[in-house]
Amino acid sequence: MLQTLLITLKLHFRQKIQLFWLFAFPIILATMFNGMFGNISESYKLHTFDMAVIENANWKANPGLQTLVDGISTGKGSSGSGMEGRVTDDDDGMPKLINVVSTTSRASADRLLADGKAQGYLYADSDGRLHMAVSESTQSNATDVMANSGSLGISLTMLNNIVDLYNRNDMAVADILATNPTAMMDRRLASSIGASSGYTKEVKLTNFKPDGTARYYYALLGMTALMAMSFAVNAVTMAQANLSALGIRRSVAPLAKWKQLAAGFLASWFCSFLSLAVAMLYIHFICGISLGGREWAAFGSCAAAAFSASAFGTFIGALPKMPTGAKHGLCTTISCVLSIFSGLYGSFAMDLSDMIARRAPLLSLMNPAQQITNLFYDILYYDSFAPLFRTLGTLLAMSAICLTAAVAFLRRQRYEYL
Amino acid sequence: MNEDHSTASAVKVSHLVKRYGDMLALDYFDLDVRQGEIFGLLGPNGSGKTTAINCILALLTFDAGTVRVFGEPIGPTSYALKRRIGIVPQNIAVFNELTVEENIDYFCSLYVADKVRRHTLVNEALDFVGLRDYRGFRPSKLSGGLLRRLNIACGIAHRPDLIFFDEPTVAVDPQSRNAILEGIKQLSREGATVIYTSHYMEEVEQICDRILIMDHGRHLALGTADELKAMIDTGERISVETANLGGAADGSNTAAMLKRLRDLPFVLEAVYDGRELTVRCRNGEHNLIDVLNILESSGTNIGHLTSRQPTLNDVFLELTGTALRD
Repeated sequence: MLQTLLITLKLHFRQKIQLFWLFAFPIILATMFNGMFGNISESYKLHTFDMAVIENANWKANPGLQTLVDGISTGKGSSGSGMEGRVTDDDDGMPKLINVVSTTSRASADRLLADGKAQGYLYADSDGRLHMAVSESTQSNATDVMANSGSLGISLTMLNNIVDLYNRNDMAVADILATNPTAMMDRRLASSIGASSGYTKEVKLTNFKPDGTARYYYALLGMTALMAMSFAVNAVTMAQANLSALGIRRSVAPLAKWKQLAAGFLASWFCSFLSLAVAMLYIHFICGISLGGREWAAFGSCAAAAFSASAFGTFIGALPKMPTGAKHGLCTTISCVLSIFSGLYGSFAMDLSDMIARRAPLLSLMNPAQQITNLFYDILYYDSFAPLFRTLGTLLAMSAICLTAAVAFLRRQRYEYL
Repeated sequence: MNEDHSTASAVKVSHLVKRYGDMLALDYFDLDVRQGEIFGLLGPNGSGKTTAINCILALLTFDAGTVRVFGEPIGPTSYALKRRIGIVPQNIAVFNELTVEENIDYFCSLYVADKVRRHTLVNEALDFVGLRDYRGFRPSKLSGGLLRRLNIACGIAHRPDLIFFDEPTVAVDPQSRNAILEGIKQLSREGATVIYTSHYMEEVEQICDRILIMDHGRHLALGTADELKAMIDTGERISVETANLGGAADGSNTAAMLKRLRDLPFVLEAVYDGRELTVRCRNGEHNLIDVLNILESSGTNIGHLTSRQPTLNDVFLELTGTALRD
């Protein structure tokens, strides 16, 4: 049995067409998705600018300026690379917009811009107003829709708004002090001046921040799993005397049929798992789709999905009176059609999938592509593992039914016809 | 074992009945193959040869009768018996993704678990079929003849006592065919029992100790090639190339000449197509001299003359009424 298992593995890994469809194709598709959807999420990401800060006498005369810069910078005086980078969160979760490059005059700041060591600079005038200047290249990049994803412009606008807000607050305080200085004794007024009021609040309802594109990738994993049914179909076909000369040769051999089938099943399971794991790792690390920090659960889900795919493939492989080519065709059809209802093919498919889930939940429950997609969804979005276990239970129940039916077809099979 | 090896049965099939729906594929079919012999199974397409073999191998269910291999009934789980059986199917049954050596090793591993012993057996099989130089090749790189040899090696590497060869020389070049036939004889000399089916009657005649002719799922005749030939009426077949049968160039004596020949007591049939005279004689008599005497006395010019003893094809034709390939 071990020898049959090893040989079956060797056979699977040497079938180039199968390798393409099960390993290369999901990666190609994921790469296409990444090309299509990558910019969407990128456009909502803030960028950190390398900003020179002219710390001259005007600047030092207004300590509020330094407080502001400290609040939006990642580190005072850090030397920038000259290129913008993604915003990183500090400990309190506040995004940082600038890397500060300290300088003492506008002339030196201009040099930094010319040398590409800063993208802009902040300076204070004699009235204590804060001003911002950006280099021409940064400005043109921000307005060139072909050259960037839009996030640069958004980040610049934010920075500009912050500068405006500071100036308005500063002017308001100066005005109050000039016209009604006693008003500043009111603590509520004093605290409200420095506070920025937000009209929306981000609340964390799910385990992980929702990602609209993740679903496409998870649906792709569902399709990959179902396509891997062909591993099991091959394994069963090679053991059936009525389907291949190889089956005749193996049926005549003194190796129990269940051992041959078990070896074939294990090999299919392993190959399907590998195919899914490779696709999942690619999606996670290259396409940047999150697994909610639960990578091991994702690997477990791959194993469960691969088990189910092998069970479905074994069932299809065991169907009597159907030639091998038709069985492979059935696998392809099933994986393509069911993937429609798991939302693989765009927003229309997503809507259809959602509608089925709402109006005919049983159909959704019976769709293995949907269930495999749900495995990864459950991992990403739910705090509890209970939904994941429910989906696993559904898949394993479906697998058990398929395997029972396959065993009924194959058990001690002797043929009426060959 | 108290049975004599030469007479003990390797395969004994009694009153085997197999139906495919309304069609009777095996009609109370009997077969008795002795240990150590090369047994030929002859029959036209659809005669039931492959069905019989599949029943013997417990691949097919059957409706009635018994099948015993080495004295024991065989079933799908008769692993001890299966261990003694090898099969060389008509269709090439090897993995295209494995090399020649890996293929042989894998199929051998289904019978022999011990790696060291298997290594020896695989090398012996490679030598036996002459594929040692091709051990690292994939089957797709082999010619038709070499592929057939690989198919054989996969079936015999575990050194079975009983080997089924189903049309092993189909689409094989003469050199490979001779090598295959010689190999089968070698296996027999080493003690294996061989059941051989083929469309090529000259092959069957060349290597088989006994031959069974079957048609419509029935046993028609059994014996050695000579015994089978003795069972039919047809004996010597004489062919004479001549342009003036009866001595007259205008053909005026042809009809009279043919009548004289047909009147001979040993002649079954005499036909002339204007170029060649064919005389089919009755079995068991030496007729050539008598025919020649008549032709010479009539002044017939004899160009080329052949005398051919009956072949298995004649036997087959007479027993079944059809040519083997029909």
